[in-house]
Amino acid sequence: MTATMTTAPESTTAPAGRAKGRRGNGQSWPLTALLAVVSLITVLPFFFMILLALTPSNAVGLPEQFPDSFTLDNITRMFQASGFVRWTTNTVIYSVVSVVIVLLTAAMAGYALSRKRFPGREALLWSFVATLMVPVQAMLIPYFVMISNMGGVDTYWGLIVPTLANAQAVFLMRQFIRDLPDELFDAAKVDGAPEWRVFFQVVLPLTKPILATLGIFVFLWHWNDFLWPLVIAQSDDMRTLTVGLASLRSANVSTPELMASAFISVVPCILVFFVLQRYLVNSITMTGMK
Amino acid sequence: MTDQVRTDRRRTHASWRQRFHDPISALIFLLPMLTLFILFRFLPVFGSVGLSFTNYKIGGSWDVIGAENYSRMFSDQVFLDSLWTTLLYAAIYVPMTVIVALATAMLLNSVLWGRAVFRGALFLPYVTSFVLAGLIWRWMYEIDGMINSILGWLGTGPVGFLQETSLVLPSLAVVSSWKGFGYSMLILFAGLKSIPTSYLEAARVDGANAWQRFRMIVLPLLRPVMFFVVVIETIAAFQVFDTIYVMTGGGPTRASYTLVYALYDQGFQFFDFGYAATLGVALFLIILVISLIQRRFLDRESDA
Repeated sequence: MTATMTTAPESTTAPAGRAKGRRGNGQSWPLTALLAVVSLITVLPFFFMILLALTPSNAVGLPEQFPDSFTLDNITRMFQASGFVRWTTNTVIYSVVSVVIVLLTAAMAGYALSRKRFPGREALLWSFVATLMVPVQAMLIPYFVMISNMGGVDTYWGLIVPTLANAQAVFLMRQFIRDLPDELFDAAKVDGAPEWRVFFQVVLPLTKPILATLGIFVFLWHWNDFLWPLVIAQSDDMRTLTVGLASLRSANVSTPELMASAFISVVPCILVFFVLQRYLVNSITMTGMK
Repeated sequence: MTDQVRTDRRRTHASWRQRFHDPISALIFLLPMLTLFILFRFLPVFGSVGLSFTNYKIGGSWDVIGAENYSRMFSDQVFLDSLWTTLLYAAIYVPMTVIVALATAMLLNSVLWGRAVFRGALFLPYVTSFVLAGLIWRWMYEIDGMINSILGWLGTGPVGFLQETSLVLPSLAVVSSWKGFGYSMLILFAGLKSIPTSYLEAARVDGANAWQRFRMIVLPLLRPVMFFVVVIETIAAFQVFDTIYVMTGGGPTRASYTLVYALYDQGFQFFDFGYAATLGVALFLIILVISLIQRRFLDRESDA
């Protein structure tokens, strides 16, 4: 749920070209070594987390010494703790339901805003985009007042619904559908296909790449979201993983168990990242999406 | 521009039937998202301003109290301190993040072997949550934690990264930078790739050294992208909350008590929703000013 003003300055991606800033065309090994060291330092905290998660609770581990034995006990123990399983389920529901609804409604809105003519179309689009300037933290209180008055505290709909109005999703869908070739839509029109068929059989299949990219982002936003779930989920049963993890600090949980939970919570993000890395990286460099 | 051309072309082809058909089907397709926006974007903006003129408490009782919350805000030392803390945090976080992002982007740009792997590794923290980052780094920062152990081997320390008032903001900024710099790095990397190699070659032939090429060619051409990155990181700095909640709880003695933390406390510790909404409006105005400055500079950039 990070909403920031994001209009990245156009950067025409020139052919990658040969690396610059050094003599000749050969690989610059000192720079490569430096980059390797920096990359290693960047992933080091994850390495510590995994090492700790695999260290037996009663054994001496980091930082005193490199652990001499490993175990999956911490991870399996967290999965046996009912609270943790419940938080994971909540997070899956929160993320997956949000992804599905945002993608569908944003595709519909993007289709209408790009392929339909009606008065006030541009004004409507820009009023959507203008809401990006309002930080979600500033809307925390009205959200809570609204949802709690509607009886949405500690419910899934109360958790999910306020986070679905996604201006970036609408904007990107609209741009993408606008830039599709007109012929595809004209053909459907000539056939006299009903609107819903045009949408499901022309728009959705053609927008797969942008739907994938948006899907990753919406998934990550929701999986990692913290402030809204923190205030709206008041019972332990309704917590998401981030809120649950934050609550573990004060409870009686050993460091290996804490890191095991942290590790489990980040696995889906890392999987999504590795599988769909190209989509993610390309979309950031091209649209400046956050 | 192209949009206009396309619309015009379609207008000439449009039949009467389509002229009425379009708005109706558009409304149907827009309805779900429009409803969401009216309820959860447009209304809350007015609701936020409206609440800030009331003394709404939990339970729902409220009176209109005019601008009382605003006058209270300006004389509220806790709020003023939190604003100052947020500014200090931003002053540390933004340069740190932008410099790291630029340095790694330049490294990536000058290395071909294993570029995708390095880029993936550097970007990895971005896909995790601030809560996770906070948990790992809290362990690393502990008095008997990882970093102090390393300092111990080197013969110094231990350092109270999260215990000393003067160190807590830089320590927190490092965590957020670690988690977030990958995004700015990718933006800057794309910007670097768009700089024509011929410019740099020409400068090299003319005898410019690496620093001169950076100073005179790379930096000026990268300015719009740099500015964008500075603005989004500044906005991110003003929204900081998760890491602080997990790592310090605003402490020690409110040394890391930021604006959003104050908002959260007023709303969900003291249940003073009217005043909390006022802090939200203040946060919005600050971020609006930053966004407007961005717009101005970017417009000037594209005019030039």
